[in-house]
Amino acid sequence: MGTISSAINLITSALNADQAALDVTSNNVSNASNEAYTREVPNWSENQPIYINGEAIGSGVTVTGGVSQRDRVLDQRLDQQQQLSASSTSLLSALTTLQDNFTPASSSSTTGDIGTDITNFFDTYTTLESAPSNDADRQAVLSSATTLASDISRTAASLNAQQASLDQSATTVVSQVNTLTTALAQVNQQIQSTSPNSDAGVLEDERQSDLSQLSQLIGINQVTTEQNGMSVTTTGGQLLASEGTAIPITSGDVDGVTHFYLGQTDITSALASGGGQIGGILTARDQSIPTTLASLDQLAYGIATNINTVNNAGTDLDGDNGNAGNIFNAPTQVAGSAAALTVVMTDPNKIAAAGIGDGTGDNSNAVAAANLAKQNIIGGETPSNFYSNLVSTLGSSVSETTTENTALTASVTQLQTQVSSLSGVSLDDEASNLELFQRAYQAASQVFSILNTVYASAINIGVETAVS
Amino acid sequence: MRVDPFYVAVNLSGALDQTQATQQQLSQELSSGLRVSTIGTDPVAAAQNVTLLNSVDQDDSFTQTTSLTQGQLQVTDSTLGSVVTQLNQALSLADAANNGTLNSTDLKSISNQLSGIRDEVLSLANTAYQGVYLFGGSQTSGAPFTLDSSTSPATVTYNGNSDVNTLVAPTGQSIQLNIPGNQVFTAATANVLGTLNSLVADYANGTAGSGVADTTALNSALNYVSQQRVTIDNSIGQLTDASGAATEQGTQLTTVQTDLMQADIASVSTQYSLAQSQQTALISVITALGQGSLFNKL
Repeated sequence: MGTISSAINLITSALNADQAALDVTSNNVSNASNEAYTREVPNWSENQPIYINGEAIGSGVTVTGGVSQRDRVLDQRLDQQQQLSASSTSLLSALTTLQDNFTPASSSSTTGDIGTDITNFFDTYTTLESAPSNDADRQAVLSSATTLASDISRTAASLNAQQASLDQSATTVVSQVNTLTTALAQVNQQIQSTSPNSDAGVLEDERQSDLSQLSQLIGINQVTTEQNGMSVTTTGGQLLASEGTAIPITSGDVDGVTHFYLGQTDITSALASGGGQIGGILTARDQSIPTTLASLDQLAYGIATNINTVNNAGTDLDGDNGNAGNIFNAPTQVAGSAAALTVVMTDPNKIAAAGIGDGTGDNSNAVAAANLAKQNIIGGETPSNFYSNLVSTLGSSVSETTTENTALTASVTQLQTQVSSLSGVSLDDEASNLELFQRAYQAASQVFSILNTVYASAINIGVETAVS
Repeated sequence: MRVDPFYVAVNLSGALDQTQATQQQLSQELSSGLRVSTIGTDPVAAAQNVTLLNSVDQDDSFTQTTSLTQGQLQVTDSTLGSVVTQLNQALSLADAANNGTLNSTDLKSISNQLSGIRDEVLSLANTAYQGVYLFGGSQTSGAPFTLDSSTSPATVTYNGNSDVNTLVAPTGQSIQLNIPGNQVFTAATANVLGTLNSLVADYANGTAGSGVADTTALNSALNYVSQQRVTIDNSIGQLTDASGAATEQGTQLTTVQTDLMQADIASVSTQYSLAQSQQTALISVITALGQGSLFNKL
């Protein structure tokens, strides 16, 4: 059988519980705009009933704090998708910069276009065919050669500069990764000591926020360990943080390019394919740009060596037979040819338009040079077709990455919606809860007030007015 | 299921960004008139653009080259025309000298006239066009023919060579640009200058009938020069045709290139207006959804 005082105790616990619930709501509203915050709901638990003469009598309610509403599998899924998306975004941004070096020429705007330069260069040889000893036509060959060489070398320089700046960005990203893994290791330690068996609430929010930021930067795998600890590895499987210990990524210079290491292992190429910003940056630095640059080198090498060979196989205006000299600087190897391409000939008389042994008015060597434009002299292609292939290869990779990026961004948004629908603070929800808990509190205080009156009646049995 | 409370902030504003990006891209297409402004937009078109522009430029450049070359060939042609006129004149003088009615003074006078014609033909054979001697083969920097009058008959030396220059059209056709002087003026079978020298010598001493054989030779030399002229006429014809073909091909390819790269203004404008409507709609939705929360009603 219950007593009035037990009823008062019981309703007091309800008042406490309602207050605790109101606290949870206040906290949710306070953090409504905090991206890292996970919505909490009050954890109501009914107090153990008291059994008197075999009869269960309720003993009120307790709120034991708020419980974060999270799905760690879903969070992890979002992180993984975020890694892929961040990688493709940073690759796309690098490729967009890269493709600006190869803006398509139009019939009205051809400045700086290598394709046009190639055509113009060989065209000046065609013009020279008609007047092999004409000084202006000879000068035109040299000036078109200079334009071609400077546009190719300028493009190569721009590619090299972009590569260097990506190298710098990679180093910056890695230092951010190291900061985050250190923070993650600290949170791991705190979680393991404070909440080894349950959701760590705010600390877990912090850990998830670290993981989400890491996922923007680098591809990672997360493994939950004992006592709610966590280990994080790169997608290649190298440890970045093992519970309370962070393992920093170190860097070192290899042939002017920064390589990254975990311990003694070179993880550079694993990072490139692993995801996150660093993945896109390293893919652009180590694959996209070198591929384009190699094609440009091949083009520069092919044109320079073939034209030099032809020029040294004819007779120039000064009568030099077979030793007229080089028009372009002679490249010693394919690599680096584009950046180094220059015109070394200054005297237009040294252009060998005539065949060996023929008079200086002969044009057979100019015909041979002009014909190079139609011959498969570079990688089995004509110079113009080779450049066309370079454009289509790079363009296709930009186009593919754009499509891929759109798809990945959409899937990230979708997952984010799923996560937010579970974990995001809805102000409407909170307003309705606030009303609910306020009403509950009001009801409980009303009960308390009535019980108080009942108690007074009990104290003043017979004397109605002594205690009120 | 619970809805995403950040739907407006994340998804709708993301969609708004997207429509703005679309509008930016479309307005760029409208202002530049180009559909493919970066190679990533349409890699295949960008690659075709390179080869198309290459062909268009080649055609353009060839057309310009031919207009210069036409000048040279026309000068060659008219020079050979003048040579033919001179030779006809020489032939009628020789015929007159051979009919046996002229006395030795007249014959000497004819010899002098023929000598004048020989000098004229020699000067025509040494014609230069823009500093280039037309009949020197590939030895174009010096006069190809020199006369030595110290002997009788006088001798003419050819200083050029037998080289023939050709111009290669974009179609691959080779067009002959010159006839070497030794082929026109001092050919073994029809030696124009040699025959003229002989005729001058024949009549110089006033002997009638001494130049009959040389007159016959001059007649065949005249025919031979006319034949050589046909070669140059053919080249002029070929060059005109090739230039016309290059111009036509250039025009066609320019059309193809323009179609390939140019923005379809009507379609872009429609898309732009669509994107604008979508933007307006999105802004309305965001405004409506963003109007406070349940807290306003408490």
